Amino acid sequence: MTRTPILHPAPELLLDYAAGSLREVQALLVASHLAYCPDCRRQVADFEAFGGVLLEEVPAEPVSVGLLDAVMARLSEAPAPPPTPEPAHPIRSLLPGPLRRAVGAEPEALEWVRIVPGIHVSAWALSVGTASACLLRMGPGSRVPAHKHTDCEMLLVLKGGYSDEHGRYAVGDVAAYEPHTPHHAVGDRDGECLCLLVQDQPLVFTGPLGWLLNRGIRF
Amino acid sequence: MLHQADPGDPSSPSREQLLIAVARDRDQEAFRALFRHFAPRIKGYARQLGADDSAAEELVQDVMLTVWQRAETFNPALASAATWVFAIARNRRIDRARQERRPELRADDIAPFDDVPQPDHEVETARAASRLRTVIGELPPEQAEVLRLAYYEDKVHSEISAERGIPLGTVKTRLRLALVRLRRAIGGEA
Ligand SMILES: [Zn+2]
Repeated sequence: MTRTPILHPAPELLLDYAAGSLREVQALLVASHLAYCPDCRRQVADFEAFGGVLLEEVPAEPVSVGLLDAVMARLSEAPAPPPTPEPAHPIRSLLPGPLRRAVGAEPEALEWVRIVPGIHVSAWALSVGTASACLLRMGPGSRVPAHKHTDCEMLLVLKGGYSDEHGRYAVGDVAAYEPHTPHHAVGDRDGECLCLLVQDQPLVFTGPLGWLLNRGIRF
Repeated sequence: MLHQADPGDPSSPSREQLLIAVARDRDQEAFRALFRHFAPRIKGYARQLGADDSAAEELVQDVMLTVWQRAETFNPALASAATWVFAIARNRRIDRARQERRPELRADDIAPFDDVPQPDHEVETARAASRLRTVIGELPPEQAEVLRLAYYEDKVHSEISAERGIPLGTVKTRLRLALVRLRRAIGGEA
C-alpha cells in the first residue's frame, strides 16, 4: 500500500487530540490514523505548536518557595529514562502502533464474536465512560446489518476496504457517521476488511435481526 | 554560561539550548533556569484547567522531573522548547487528572508504513511560533475563544457547544476558520 489516506478525522478532532481534551477512546482512533497519515501528523504538530505558544502566554502563577529545591532533591532519585523499546526490526504488524499497544495482541490471536455470517467483532474492547472501541471484521463481500445509532460512530480501516452509500474506504481512511444516520457497510469482495470501530453509545439495530442483536451484544 | 535565560539579552541561551544542555551534560543550572521559566507557566496552565493549588504544584513537579528524565528526546528541529513542554504537561495532566491513558504515536510507529511517499514536514519552529503569536492576537474573539476552550477547559467541541449554548455547527465553523489561519501562519501556506 503506497496510498496515503484521503478521508481524515474531522479537523476539530485533531485539535482536541493535540489540546488534550479528546477522550481516550476517540484519541486511540486519531493516534492510529496518524500512523498512516503524514498530513494529519503535520496538523497535530501545528496544533501542539499552538499549545506551546499558549503555554508561553498563560498567566504565570508563582510557585511555592521550596518547590525548586524539592524538585532538585528528586533529580538524583529520578530513574534514568528507560530506553525506548525500539524493535531491532520494525514490527510487521497489521495494527498501527497505538492500537497494537492498546490491544496487546495481533487480530488472529483475539477472540471474535460473530454478529451475522461474515461479520465479527473482537471480544477485545476498550470502554471509557460512554465511549467504546473494538475491532470489526467483514468477510469478503459481507454486509454489516442495518443499524441506527444514537451517537457518533467512526471506523478506521486497518486492512482491505469497504463501501457504503456515502463512499468507499481503504486502509487508513476514517469514516464518521453522525447520530441517527443509518448506513450499510459492505466489505470489498476481494478480501477481508478489518476496521477499528469507535462509538459513543450502544447501537440499536433495526431490521429483522435487531431484537436478537440487541440482546447482550454491545456492538 | 548557560545559566540564565534572559530573552532581553541576545547572548543568553535560548530555552532550546538549555534543554540540550540538560540532555547532554545533565546541567543542573540549565535545569534551574528552565524551571524558573516554565514552572509558573505549567502551574498557570493547571490552574486554568481547574486544578487547585496543591494539585497544580504536583503537576509542576511531575512535569519538570519528566523534563529532566526525557530531555534527550527533545528535538529542536521538530518542536520549540515550549511546545515540547506543553506536550509533556498535557500528557501528565491526562494521566493524573483523568486517569486515562493517552494513546500516542511514537516515532517507530511510522516505520512499518514508511512506504508512504511524502516526508514529514518539519516546522521551522521559532519563526512559526512568532507568526502564531501574531495570528492568535488577530483572531476574531469568538474564534480565539473556541481554541482556548479546547486547550484550557478540557472540553471537546461538542461539550463547548452544549455548555455555551452555541450550536455545534457554529463551534465547528469557528474552529475551522481559526485553524485555516493557524495553518497559514505556521506553514506560510497561501
Ligand atoms: Zn489524515
